[in-house]
Amino acid sequence: MYKYDDFDRTFVAERVAHYRAQTQRYLAGKLTEDEFLQLRLRNGLYIQRLAPMLRVAVPYGTLSSTQLRMLASIARDYDRGYGHLSTRQNMQFNWPEVAEVPDILEALASVDMHAIQTSGSCIRNVTTDEFAGAAADEEIDPRPYCELIRQWSTAHPEFDWLPRKFKIALSGAAEDRAAIAVHDIGLGVSKDPRGNAQFDFYVGGGLGRTPVIGSLIESGVAAKHLLTFLEAVLRVYNRYGRRDNKYKARIKILVRAMGAEAFRDKVLAEWEFLKDGPSTVNTKELDRLTAHFLQPEFASLNNATQILQTHRLANPTFSAWVSQNVIAHKHPDYAAVTLSTKVAGIPPGDVTDEQMDVVADWADRYSFGEIRISHEQNFILPHVPRDCLFDLWSAAGTAGLSTANSGQLTDMICCPGGDYCSLANAKSIPVAEDIQRRFDNENYLADLGDLDINISGCMNACGHHHVGHIGILGVDKKGKEYYQISVGGHSGHGRLNASLGRILGPSVARDEVTDVVSQIIEVYIEHRDEGESFLSVYRRIGIDPFKERVYAKTN
Amino acid sequence: MPKRIKATPDGWKISDPATDREVTPDSWAGQGTLRLACDSEPEERFLSAQTIVIEFPAFTDGRALSLAVLLRKQFGYKGHLRATGATHEDIVHYIIRCGFDQIDVPPGRDPDLYLALLEPYTAHYQGSVHDPEPSFKRTLRGINA
Repeated sequence: MYKYDDFDRTFVAERVAHYRAQTQRYLAGKLTEDEFLQLRLRNGLYIQRLAPMLRVAVPYGTLSSTQLRMLASIARDYDRGYGHLSTRQNMQFNWPEVAEVPDILEALASVDMHAIQTSGSCIRNVTTDEFAGAAADEEIDPRPYCELIRQWSTAHPEFDWLPRKFKIALSGAAEDRAAIAVHDIGLGVSKDPRGNAQFDFYVGGGLGRTPVIGSLIESGVAAKHLLTFLEAVLRVYNRYGRRDNKYKARIKILVRAMGAEAFRDKVLAEWEFLKDGPSTVNTKELDRLTAHFLQPEFASLNNATQILQTHRLANPTFSAWVSQNVIAHKHPDYAAVTLSTKVAGIPPGDVTDEQMDVVADWADRYSFGEIRISHEQNFILPHVPRDCLFDLWSAAGTAGLSTANSGQLTDMICCPGGDYCSLANAKSIPVAEDIQRRFDNENYLADLGDLDINISGCMNACGHHHVGHIGILGVDKKGKEYYQISVGGHSGHGRLNASLGRILGPSVARDEVTDVVSQIIEVYIEHRDEGESFLSVYRRIGIDPFKERVYAKTN
Repeated sequence: MPKRIKATPDGWKISDPATDREVTPDSWAGQGTLRLACDSEPEERFLSAQTIVIEFPAFTDGRALSLAVLLRKQFGYKGHLRATGATHEDIVHYIIRCGFDQIDVPPGRDPDLYLALLEPYTAHYQGSVHDPEPSFKRTLRGINA
């Protein structure tokens, strides 16, 4: 993991002091509501429907056990004993007091954390594969480059006041678990023929009101050019992105308006001046950052696989969990584990302070003190010895974190929705809960296989409904909550290209959503060949059979 | 009376705005003070200006920052660069790092606060117009580039 040096610590401490002074000026009436809004957003603080919400940055989803214990302590001291894992791998607290936020930020700084640029029209927390540095299918570990981008983007003098928010995601594995096709910039990291990192720049992807798959504007950019190329893209966006209409201000609209080719030409012209300039990353810096992410000292474990097999044979429930929630690790005696937060009755991604504390303990015991937060809003322990999986599973069961549903229908991505968010048109958490209650048979869920249901309470698409195999979007219809259902979206995991879902038909009332989901699944089951996934079936048969089933009654 | 803060050989000082005549690109004859909108394209013919004034339509509008960097870094403009319009004490440090050496303080804002917030951070990750090297190339990071 990256460890702060004095430089990082000084910067974050000064940022806390700066924000404390801003808060004091606001509370003293020297900053207007609108002025303070811009400053607090850049320090992670939203004012929500019921109370403020503080979004803490978890850089590229990576946490130490010490940091997670601090988050647990903040949840206890400043929140109501829980936090929320976001789709951008961050942690959100829902009930802080505005005046206390500087104290929370100071507590975070004491464990080398912050909430800088987790909201506002600026470069947000960079995200990546939750299994980075662990997954067997990884070509190159993206984390050193994530950290390079984190530092470069923090309080950048030129790029902190963009037309709109700006999200960067990286993936360095065969399977894209970071949804790079639907980010403002998605970076595909791979090795060039000499084994050095190189970057494919996908620009202008995004969800929200206008979902777009990003365009590849340059491939094979060498690591030393990473920052200068980013500067070229950001400068073109900062200068030419629309500022007259916030719904048309994202880079995707600019890329589309200019055309990907013309946009690329503009970026390359800008890059001419920046290339090989002062922001060129030297080998020393790349080596310094890479050294922070060396693999832990894995041991060769005698009989680890055998011990695991014995437990699996003796305990089918455990075995089902291993099949579903454990993925292959670079080291054959270790595994990466998903601790699912998706249990019926609990909002997806919500975790209590006690759960945070026990996950931190397990990380120390089983995973070299390291935890990840996934884009799917679950905790990950990246490096667990295979002979410890049974002990971990047993403990996770007691803590309510052992649901064997990673990647399944009930492992839904869901925004906080109308229960918390002032932007939402409709609630999303009760919809998720209804679906989870209907589909509670483990064998049935396992038989359905990988099936992503993503739920957003409004067009802003925080629940990524456009890239759900089944997407659910809350809409307002004459003051009532309705839900628009789409089918066939995909975020890009499982080595299948990303795609945007198609709307099935007219929106439905909340009490109809779960029935519609059932009907869609019936169609899938009727059409599938053995072992065929939902997405494959959809791509083979198209939308019509689903449409006909769901709207048959009204025809 | 609105104030201006200026970089001087003795550091930044508060001053009364001088009444220089500002000319727009349409009537620019190559001498004096040129006023640019933040969405202007930089041009070679501007470089002879004694002062270029760039307007911030809102303090949240970063276009003037990019334009200033372009003028300073790509075009090598050496004259004065003045930020005017909706500047704000909390963006003063960004404005300075992008190469401005004069900042107009709009009515109702406190020029002393501008001076107090010239440099809320002792060091930055990125380079700036004045100090182009990013932190990882500076010895203060404890690593020799």
